[in-house]
Amino acid sequence: MKGTGNKNGKQRGLFLLISIILIFCVFGTVILSVSHKISREMSESAIQNLSESLDLIQSTIEAILRSEAEFQDLIAQEIARVDDPEEYIRVYQRNQTMSKMSLILSGKTEGLSNTGERFTEEGLDFSAGGTVIGMQVSQSYVNYMGTWSYTIKCPVERDGQEIGTLYAEYIYDAIDRSLPEEFYNRQALLYIMDAASQRFVLKPKGMGQRTAGHLNLTDFYRANSIQDPEIQAEVADSLSTGRNVLFYHDIRGINALNYMWSVNNGTIYLVGYVPVEAIQQEGRTVNQNIAIVVFSMLVAFFLCILLYYVNWRQQDKLRREREAERKVHSQQLAAALRAAQIASESKTTFLSNMSHDIRTPMNAVLGFTTLLARDAENPAKVREYTRKITASGQHLLSLINDILDVSKIESGKVALNLEQFALSDVVASADAIIQPMAKAKKQEFHLEVTGIRHEYLVGDETRINQILINLLSNAVKYTPEGGHIWLRLIGLKQRSSQYEHIRVEVEDDGYGMTPEYLETIFDAFTRAENSTTNKVQGTGLGMAITKSIVELMGGTIEVFSEVDKGSLFRVDLELRVLESAADLQFWKQRDISRILAVGGGPESRENMLALMRDTGVQLDTASDAAEALERIDSESFQLVLLDWEDCGLQAVKNLREKLPKAVPLLLLSEFDAEGMEEALQFSRTDALTKPFFVSALRTKIEELWNERESKPEQERDFALRGMRFLAAEDNEINAEILTELLELEGASCEIAANGLLAVERFQRSLPGEFDAILMDVQMPVMNGHEAARAIRALDQEDAGRIPIIAMTANAFAEDEKAALAAGMDAHVPKPLNMELLKKVIRQRIRRREEP
Amino acid sequence: MKNMRRWISVCLAALAAVLLASCGGHENPKNLLPVEQEKKQVVNLFSPMEKSDPNAENVARTAADLTVAMAEEKLGVSVNYWTYTAEDYQDKTYDEVVLDRARNNMDDLYLLNPDVILTLGAEGKLMDLSGLDSAKNLRDIISTANTVDGKLVAIPQEVVAYGLFVNADLFKKYDLSLPNTPEEFLECCRVFQENGIKTPIGANRWWLETFAFAIAYADLYNGGNTKAEIAALNSGETRYSDYMRPGFSFLQTLIDKGYIDTEKALVSEAIEGERADFLAGKTPIVMAYWGAANTETAYGKTDFEMQVIGFPSSRGQMPVMPMTGWAVGAQAAHAEDAMQVMDVILSDEALQLFSETNRVISPSKNVKVDCVPALQPLNDRIEEGVYVLGSNAGMSVEQWGNTCLIVRRLLEGASVDECMAAFDELQEAALSRS
Repeated sequence: MKGTGNKNGKQRGLFLLISIILIFCVFGTVILSVSHKISREMSESAIQNLSESLDLIQSTIEAILRSEAEFQDLIAQEIARVDDPEEYIRVYQRNQTMSKMSLILSGKTEGLSNTGERFTEEGLDFSAGGTVIGMQVSQSYVNYMGTWSYTIKCPVERDGQEIGTLYAEYIYDAIDRSLPEEFYNRQALLYIMDAASQRFVLKPKGMGQRTAGHLNLTDFYRANSIQDPEIQAEVADSLSTGRNVLFYHDIRGINALNYMWSVNNGTIYLVGYVPVEAIQQEGRTVNQNIAIVVFSMLVAFFLCILLYYVNWRQQDKLRREREAERKVHSQQLAAALRAAQIASESKTTFLSNMSHDIRTPMNAVLGFTTLLARDAENPAKVREYTRKITASGQHLLSLINDILDVSKIESGKVALNLEQFALSDVVASADAIIQPMAKAKKQEFHLEVTGIRHEYLVGDETRINQILINLLSNAVKYTPEGGHIWLRLIGLKQRSSQYEHIRVEVEDDGYGMTPEYLETIFDAFTRAENSTTNKVQGTGLGMAITKSIVELMGGTIEVFSEVDKGSLFRVDLELRVLESAADLQFWKQRDISRILAVGGGPESRENMLALMRDTGVQLDTASDAAEALERIDSESFQLVLLDWEDCGLQAVKNLREKLPKAVPLLLLSEFDAEGMEEALQFSRTDALTKPFFVSALRTKIEELWNERESKPEQERDFALRGMRFLAAEDNEINAEILTELLELEGASCEIAANGLLAVERFQRSLPGEFDAILMDVQMPVMNGHEAARAIRALDQEDAGRIPIIAMTANAFAEDEKAALAAGMDAHVPKPLNMELLKKVIRQRIRRREEP
Repeated sequence: MKNMRRWISVCLAALAAVLLASCGGHENPKNLLPVEQEKKQVVNLFSPMEKSDPNAENVARTAADLTVAMAEEKLGVSVNYWTYTAEDYQDKTYDEVVLDRARNNMDDLYLLNPDVILTLGAEGKLMDLSGLDSAKNLRDIISTANTVDGKLVAIPQEVVAYGLFVNADLFKKYDLSLPNTPEEFLECCRVFQENGIKTPIGANRWWLETFAFAIAYADLYNGGNTKAEIAALNSGETRYSDYMRPGFSFLQTLIDKGYIDTEKALVSEAIEGERADFLAGKTPIVMAYWGAANTETAYGKTDFEMQVIGFPSSRGQMPVMPMTGWAVGAQAAHAEDAMQVMDVILSDEALQLFSETNRVISPSKNVKVDCVPALQPLNDRIEEGVYVLGSNAGMSVEQWGNTCLIVRRLLEGASVDECMAAFDELQEAALSRS
């Protein structure tokens, strides 16, 4: 199809080209024939023009000759009448026309002239036979005045008898006076030639610029390179017969009409040339104008072609662009379709997975509730079943949370909740969660922190936790028993002093992934499928969520993996550094200016130095206990940090002995360090879990300084016994569950079916009647947020203080924000976790109690 | 697209402008003929023209034309050229024609040979030019040579110096040094002839007289007693024939020994007759004027080393300097305009242009031009003040023209005595006139 199109295009192009060539050929032929016709006509016109001019000059000269002859005849008649003809001659004055007059009386060979000289016919040559009105004309000669002249002789007759001959000499200069001032604008050349001698006797003024070849005809031929024998023969023949000759011949490269024009029956000739251009001045102008017109037409034609071509090019370009656009569009559509198909397939697979995954725990819940109903009398079984139901329910909840999270992220509704946090908290939290999981699978979990300069940062701690937990829990999941898992926090080179550049690496030596799977690992709704991992439960959304969160934070995530060798996830994040001005105050208040760090290897000490740099506290290091002991002798420290794994019990003992009692000794140890019990028996000696963080140290120092060890005990005993709550809950089952749960805890609860009722009930309440209000958010009539605002707006003694705790299935960060914005104090997600609720209530109530 | 639109608008605007311009016309005057320009004053100039090579412009002519054009421009006059050239030796010569024309007041300005200057000057047919501004710049020798009866009657545009043009390569080939004396010259001719060069001297009917002048007047002009000797000649105390005899005898020897082809010389025009053989290296010696060494149509371009030396004389190589000159007819129709033209074409500015164009010696003492190397020997002699005048208006017998004619008689076969008699005759006529 394409080939045929090209062929057609080529044929069309060829046809167009041939057509243009044909048009040009026709156009050229027309122009050529017109120009030939014009040339021919112009040539004819030039010949006619020149002939007319020469005829005019010829007539003028002949008229002069005739009038001279007639005048001479009159003189002759007058002489015939006078008595003494010779006397007449003698006194005759020379004039402009006649330079000399002579008379030879009949029968004599000598006469006299009016110049006073004797006169004979010697020197005058009448043999050529030229005549004017029947009188003989001599050949031309240079006369006594030094100028070319001729003599006409005329008989003097008295009474019919010839008494003598009158000779009158005329100079050619007289002819010159009667000729026009200019001849073809002085471009032409004209000589008067004596035909018999072929001498040039006059070049009238105004008849062109004198050039070489002015002497005679031969000289003229030679000077003007007229060497063609045929022309010369033609001219010779014409001269002998008195005919005119006109021929084209280039004079010094200029096309010219050469002429030999007979005057007075060929006794004298006009000889010369006229450049054709001089005759055809108007013709040249016409030609030039034609050329201009033709040129303009051609220019216009080519301009049109050019414009057409430019236009065509633009149209073609547009067409091609549109085609390309269409192509891209259809490609995009195809890609979108493919993506949609893949997504659809993925979602189908996901649904089938989910259906399986959701049905499994649901099956357990329903199954165990059936069993529960049957074995309700057997408390041991009831406890067993409820424990399993709870586990299944929690699994179901995590599934639902993930699905919601993914859909939220995909729809772009996730917002980061940026707050200050301590890196140590994140690490501790991950450690606390993963360590037991790893232990359960007999895996070794290693935590390393290097190069971190700032540990107080601003970011979404929850989401960062989520990243770590997702990656680590995956590592735990996909690493067989006895495997290893590493979490590394590496401080990279800062790109800005205001941001800490952190690399989080989670590595394991587990199953690893195939390259194909690696390509789709971060896509939603995928899960590595193989016989091993099928045993692993999960939504397959964890990695997609992780990647989305990382990208939301402006970070990057990479993964390296090999089957059966393990995987490495690498997350790079930049988190803003929190200005810690208050930090300095903390150490000053406790008089801590020098700390000694003992053992732990140079890298570890380096880390500690980096972290302590901004605290204003001098951190000294000792590579081992011996060095530490020496330094303690000579210097004073307010705190000593000892690496437990590196130094051991003996070192603790030795140091403790040397150290003043007030100086605390902290043992940096692994999470599950063994054999520390004895060491911790020493006074002011405590453990600090690795890795080293300033915040952890600070917490530990606070504990040591304030001796608040008993507080957790108090918290452990906290219960809701005797408390009274107002709960706004529209769902009766949820209301019942809540009531039951609170009663289990020894508290009482009054339910309002919507927000408005809750507000009204609170309005009616006595001060201190309720300890807190538990507020569902989505309710008919008035929702939780409005109700909270209304309560806070009440003019009632405790309306502003009473804790209002949101309880909602909307379990996202923004829901919590919205709740707080509405004036509520805290947010507890549904399904209700009593431990969490208790913790929140405890915090709120304690805060209220504090002044 | 935007550019193209702009371009099209510019084109349309230009087209509109052209249309408007072509539609708008000038108002036609009632009389269709252009207003006649004031007629220029005309000065008629009569001079000879070269006929040697019609295809090439004659250099001397062109240089003169340049100065005439300068005059036309400055004065607003129109100079008409009139000319005559003899077809052959049977025709009237230029000098004869110019005499006739001047006597009949045919023209205003004339270019005259020395003999004609003297003749017409003596007849009172030429204006006195001593009043011209340009006359004040002339070298003394020029004024002297052109003064007749106390009147400066002609002024040249160049100082014409004649010399021997020799083929130095041929002299070297036959181990000859350039001749200084008549004897040395004869010896050179002998050697050339012996070596197969039949006629060592290329001659024409005009310039053989230069040999006679060099030998005749070497002592007169260079002996320190010039004025007295000329006075003696004018008074008849001494005779021209006594001076001329050695020169004519020398010419006779050249003729007798066949060093000159007399028949050819008698019918040959200047340069035309001898040029071809000289350029071909067949003739080692010709005589010519200074300007011929600069003119390609003469001897300006040779395939051999050419040297221009003076004629042999008892005082060594001797340049011969006749004085051509521009003159104004005493009764010229446009005498006043002609005098103004003279003042321009003889001004230092015009002479500088003339001399630079032709590379000749200028008659003005203020104009100096370098010469070509070939002319150096001749130039050196002139600069030394060693030369012979070919014409002298101060002498009662006209020299240049008469001597030329008498030399022709010698060529035609007259004896030296007959020629000397002719000089005596001329002297007698002059004495009787005075």
